Amino acid sequence: MDPRRAETGKNSDQIQSGHVYHLALDIGGSLAKLVYFTKNDEHIVGNEKKKSPLKASGISNSSRNSPVLNGRLNFKKFETSKINDCLEFINSMKLHLGGCQQPESPGSQTITIKATGGGAYKYADLFKEKFGISLDKEDEMDCLVAGANFLLETIHQEAFTYMGNQKQFVWIDKNDLYPYLLVNIGSGVGMIKVEGDGKFERVSGTSIGGGTFWGLGKLLTKCKSFDELLDLSYRGNNRAVDMLVGDIYGGMDYSKIGLSSTTIASSFGRAISENKERDDYKPEDIARSLLRMISNNIGQISYLTALRFGLKRIFFGGFFIRRHPFTMDTLSVAVNFWSKGEAKAMFLQHEGFLGAVGAFMSSDKHGLKELLANQKVERPPSKLSFSLDQTQVPQQDGELNGDESIECSVYGA
Amino acid sequence: MAGLSEKPQALGIDQESAEANKNSSSNKKSVHNRLLEKDKEEGGQGGDMSPSAGSSIKRSGSRPQLDVSKAEIQGNVEEKYPTILLPNQSDDLSHLALDIGGSLIKLVYFSRHEDQSTDDKRKRSVKERLGLSNGNRRSFPILGGRLHFVKFETRKINECLDFINSKQLHRGGAESPYADGATDGNAIIKATGGGAYKYTDLFKERLGVSLDKEDEMDCLVAGANFLLKAIRHEAFTHMEGQKEFVQIDPNDLFPYLLVNIGSGVSMIKVDGDGKFERVSGTNVGGGTYWGLGRLLTKCKSFDELLELSQKGDNRTIDMLVGDIYGGLDYSKIGLSASTIASSFGKTISEKKELEDYRPEDISLSLLRMISYNIGQISYLNALRFGLKRIFFGGFFIRGHAYTMDTISFAVQFWSKGEAQAMFLRHEGFLGALGAFMSYEKHGLDDLMVHQLVERFPMGAPYTGGKIHGPPLGDLNEKASDRNSKYLTPISIIVTLSNSDFPTQISWMEKFLRKGTEITAPVPMTPAAGTTGLGGFDVPLSRGSSLRSDASALNVGVLHLVPTLDVFPLLEDPKTYEPNTIDLADPSELEYWFTILSEHLPDLVDKAVASEGRTDDAKRRGDAFARAFSAHLARLMEEPAAYGKLGLANLLEMREECLREFQFVDAYRSIKQRENEASLAVLPDLLMEIDSMDEETRLLTLIEGVLAANIFDWGSRACVDLYHKGTIIEIYRMSRNKMQRPWRVDDFDLFKERMLGTGDKKKPPHKRALLFVDNSGADIVLGMLPLARELLRRGTEVVLVANSLPALNDVTAMELPDIVAEAAKHCDTLRRAAEAGGLLVDAMINSSRSSKGKSSSVPLMVVENGCGSPCIDLRQVSSELAAAAKDADLIILEGMGRALHTNLNARFKCDALKLAMVKNQRLAEKLLKGNIYDCICKYEPAS
Repeated sequence: MDPRRAETGKNSDQIQSGHVYHLALDIGGSLAKLVYFTKNDEHIVGNEKKKSPLKASGISNSSRNSPVLNGRLNFKKFETSKINDCLEFINSMKLHLGGCQQPESPGSQTITIKATGGGAYKYADLFKEKFGISLDKEDEMDCLVAGANFLLETIHQEAFTYMGNQKQFVWIDKNDLYPYLLVNIGSGVGMIKVEGDGKFERVSGTSIGGGTFWGLGKLLTKCKSFDELLDLSYRGNNRAVDMLVGDIYGGMDYSKIGLSSTTIASSFGRAISENKERDDYKPEDIARSLLRMISNNIGQISYLTALRFGLKRIFFGGFFIRRHPFTMDTLSVAVNFWSKGEAKAMFLQHEGFLGAVGAFMSSDKHGLKELLANQKVERPPSKLSFSLDQTQVPQQDGELNGDESIECSVYGA
Repeated sequence: MAGLSEKPQALGIDQESAEANKNSSSNKKSVHNRLLEKDKEEGGQGGDMSPSAGSSIKRSGSRPQLDVSKAEIQGNVEEKYPTILLPNQSDDLSHLALDIGGSLIKLVYFSRHEDQSTDDKRKRSVKERLGLSNGNRRSFPILGGRLHFVKFETRKINECLDFINSKQLHRGGAESPYADGATDGNAIIKATGGGAYKYTDLFKERLGVSLDKEDEMDCLVAGANFLLKAIRHEAFTHMEGQKEFVQIDPNDLFPYLLVNIGSGVSMIKVDGDGKFERVSGTNVGGGTYWGLGRLLTKCKSFDELLELSQKGDNRTIDMLVGDIYGGLDYSKIGLSASTIASSFGKTISEKKELEDYRPEDISLSLLRMISYNIGQISYLNALRFGLKRIFFGGFFIRGHAYTMDTISFAVQFWSKGEAQAMFLRHEGFLGALGAFMSYEKHGLDDLMVHQLVERFPMGAPYTGGKIHGPPLGDLNEKASDRNSKYLTPISIIVTLSNSDFPTQISWMEKFLRKGTEITAPVPMTPAAGTTGLGGFDVPLSRGSSLRSDASALNVGVLHLVPTLDVFPLLEDPKTYEPNTIDLADPSELEYWFTILSEHLPDLVDKAVASEGRTDDAKRRGDAFARAFSAHLARLMEEPAAYGKLGLANLLEMREECLREFQFVDAYRSIKQRENEASLAVLPDLLMEIDSMDEETRLLTLIEGVLAANIFDWGSRACVDLYHKGTIIEIYRMSRNKMQRPWRVDDFDLFKERMLGTGDKKKPPHKRALLFVDNSGADIVLGMLPLARELLRRGTEVVLVANSLPALNDVTAMELPDIVAEAAKHCDTLRRAAEAGGLLVDAMINSSRSSKGKSSSVPLMVVENGCGSPCIDLRQVSSELAAAAKDADLIILEGMGRALHTNLNARFKCDALKLAMVKNQRLAEKLLKGNIYDCICKYEPAS
């Protein structure tokens, strides 16, 4: 087969038909993210080619003797508050019957799943009780970075910029990837300086993140879900709520300090009007203002942090973004504004799944790392195909909704 | 020099306009008409002599020089307010500047000093002697005066206009007989803030003045620079509720980051005067807090929202690190379980609606979110530009303790303790002050820290409240129009405090409302002759509400005393700390609080008696006691309420408070009586002394100083003595306690310097500065004989005394009479006093006749520039500073000047500190000794 050929698509039926070989979880404060591998029917045989590079890399793993499996890496997410749905889903995959059984203890009914995120601790008992699944906790940040590194190094079109509705993929030389700033926008925001594989440091962060958007949004609007709130924001106009520079200086630009009249001087600064109550403001406008406030702020702090550590690239990830165009746009505008055009915000195709991918990577029995290492050596990579469908367009709501997959190959157990 | 030659004419105009002002203020309705008439009249006199304020300001590029003699010609002593010494001031001093913000109007205005002592003959002769008469000293071009800070709500702008009008601030101040003649219908007031545009027409219409708009950021920076350079302890840190003042070296101020938190946040990098750049900012600011807060709670005002936050618990709203990691710290990345992971991250719960959350919690969460964020972004910017200091200001802070704490925490957290957030006491007035500074030639640029004295209107809360003291206009300033709604800035402040201004004293408000019902936790004996005291309230406890902290940053009136200088003989002015006792220690503060409270009835009695026990005096005495007690109570609660507090400040405050209630000199009659009694026995004492040999004489003289120092009405123990015995009896008892060794006894060292050992004689000191203490025996029987001895040995003697009365301390005004009286019995003193120009009447004769005779070394008197029982040598009169030039011996006498302050001060020349310790606690604490122990501390020049 053509190793470069990649397929992505709705594959919910494939889950049923395909063989689940591996699964990893990232259970965050609001969302639980799943990454799992399903096997295609055709097996790729060719272990002998594999052997030498793996030996060269000094990694000894029984899996290298296994056949390489061609399959798909699948991404799925659930709201953490509906963790039971997630459990049901995992259960439905019949993991305890599938290939994910511990190879060390065949026959044992104990299934171990790599997991990260705060919920990996919180729900450990629940997993154990309900399905006898034990969660193997992986450090959140390790996973995040491992996931990002993996995706940025491996996937052809993982990183992109987004400005004024223009999405532009950025090709990044994997030899010139580090150091970079990884901004993970979950409930809160973590900012991580990444200098290489496993070499990273949390250097900053802010408590004003996705949780703030959703939390404040829920209090201020009648939205029932994060996505609904995002939707609203898309239709809103923040002018009704925010105090703009023009509001203060009578419509004139305060050009002396480089501010245009449409620059937000004070988020929600107009909501202090005595005559208006909450119900007098459109929820769309409120959502919009919230989103701009939070995106702006994250963009600013990220830029300042990147500047402080001399990092040339800033990648934004985390569920807050959800490839929502407006969110990405405001983040980009903020970085552009504060850096006076010198820095650009970049996003990842799989932003929501960094942790889960990282957790997935942390288990070496599937041999992804080895395959990767192998792939680096072998040109062209014949045994592993790992790329994303280039033609994929964000869906209507602009996010991965859990039904995406990446075709790839792993060693069979 | 063109400017100089114009002066006499300019003066004429001043007087005319003053007349006009007097007339106009008597008939308010026709003010504008009269002004117009005046304009017409003056118009014919020559356009260049009555220019608009704007052009007059620019008229001469160089700073005008003061010609003292000319000033004196005008400084007619019979004039009602002979305080104005500078003929050209009205051209140079602009009196009012405004910062009209969205919610508050801030006023900064200038009034002239009223208490500048008249330039009498004695002073002039001293000045001549000290070479001061040229009038070209740097300090003179600036007129002494006061900077006042007043606030109004913008929506009540009419009150502000009324206030300005009542005080005629837009025309240079009506209290001045030399009201600015140059300001006419085209008068210009500097203004900044958005409202400067919005209300231009209103000001024109109501007051006939034009607002000259100054750039907001220019003003902000100018104001901050001025404050940071000119005011000691302007900046402070605020961590975990603890305020700590920071002394910033004005030479090491720049660059810094100024973070102004208004509706939005501006971050300004300041590199110097007029050198700054807006480098960053954030749209998440005060407007966000108030806007979101309004949408989320039912609060009707910013302050209400802020107050709510005090009772909040953000754990129900915010997602903490502990919530995510099941209570475990995520220590690997240095986050504790209580760190906020996501602001409002918990409100995503499906089951709860907005109504299910407490507004208190929401407010707190909002406050923390915004404060942390500002702190973080500020720190990152400071780091980016290598700025070592971050100052936060703007209406969002408003002296609110929790806000300051969260910002401080954020800066500390993100900088890992390397940076500290700092705040400014006058933060609300940066813009207004900056606008004030934008007037050219106000002369304030060159002001030094030592030339500014901050005073707090002590009587303020009472005069505006229920207690009926004397008419307000008499208390603080001479308001032009008694019928005006706003007589003084003080009354305004009180008015505002009853609305919802957080910067005012909240417990004080309650106190006022309660009036006389308040029961006294510390009972005070009603002093005889007063109407009796109700007592005072203890401040509300901290626990229930932190609100009182919102008012913690009082802003006083800045007194500009250009004649103040740093005492040049201080070894190291930078490290000099006047206060010996640190009132930061709560037990210490409590002790002094008690001491002052206990002493109060006696003081009130003296004060009332000094005014002939009239009903008016009784009422004022009553009001004084209440005001002072309340201030004490306030300080107990919040020691930093008026800036950094030392014992010297505390004691000075009492004197200020007395003066504010128009007790000019509470101990006048006592001082007089004691002086007379002492002078009566002086000849006998001198005769006795003269019969001794040199060595015995010196010891006797020092003993005499120490023994006579017992006459101190500032000491509780001594007041008791007074009640028990006669002056002579006390003195005798005191003399009997003089057995050496004293508690600190460097007498032998001093004697060696004075008399030498064996054949080795050292030359006498050239000039000695004697810092004298009390009236009566202390000065007459103690210090004067010592002065006489020094004079005899050929040392010039300068008696340094208070400028204003404080307790029974002798003042510089009183000394010449005392010396003259003493000189009647002593030839040495007479000749020295003549030489020093102290004997005014005899001067002309003697200066002619004594020319041929052996001229004595002079005995002089200078004022020290203060009106407190203590002395802060960073701020002394220029006269004293000049006199210190040739001095090689300093003698500090008395508890206030040698113990409470300056005990540890080091000087460039020989210094002798003499005092009797009349306070058991102080004796134990400082000297491990007992009450009535003596100190004779001699420190030769190093």
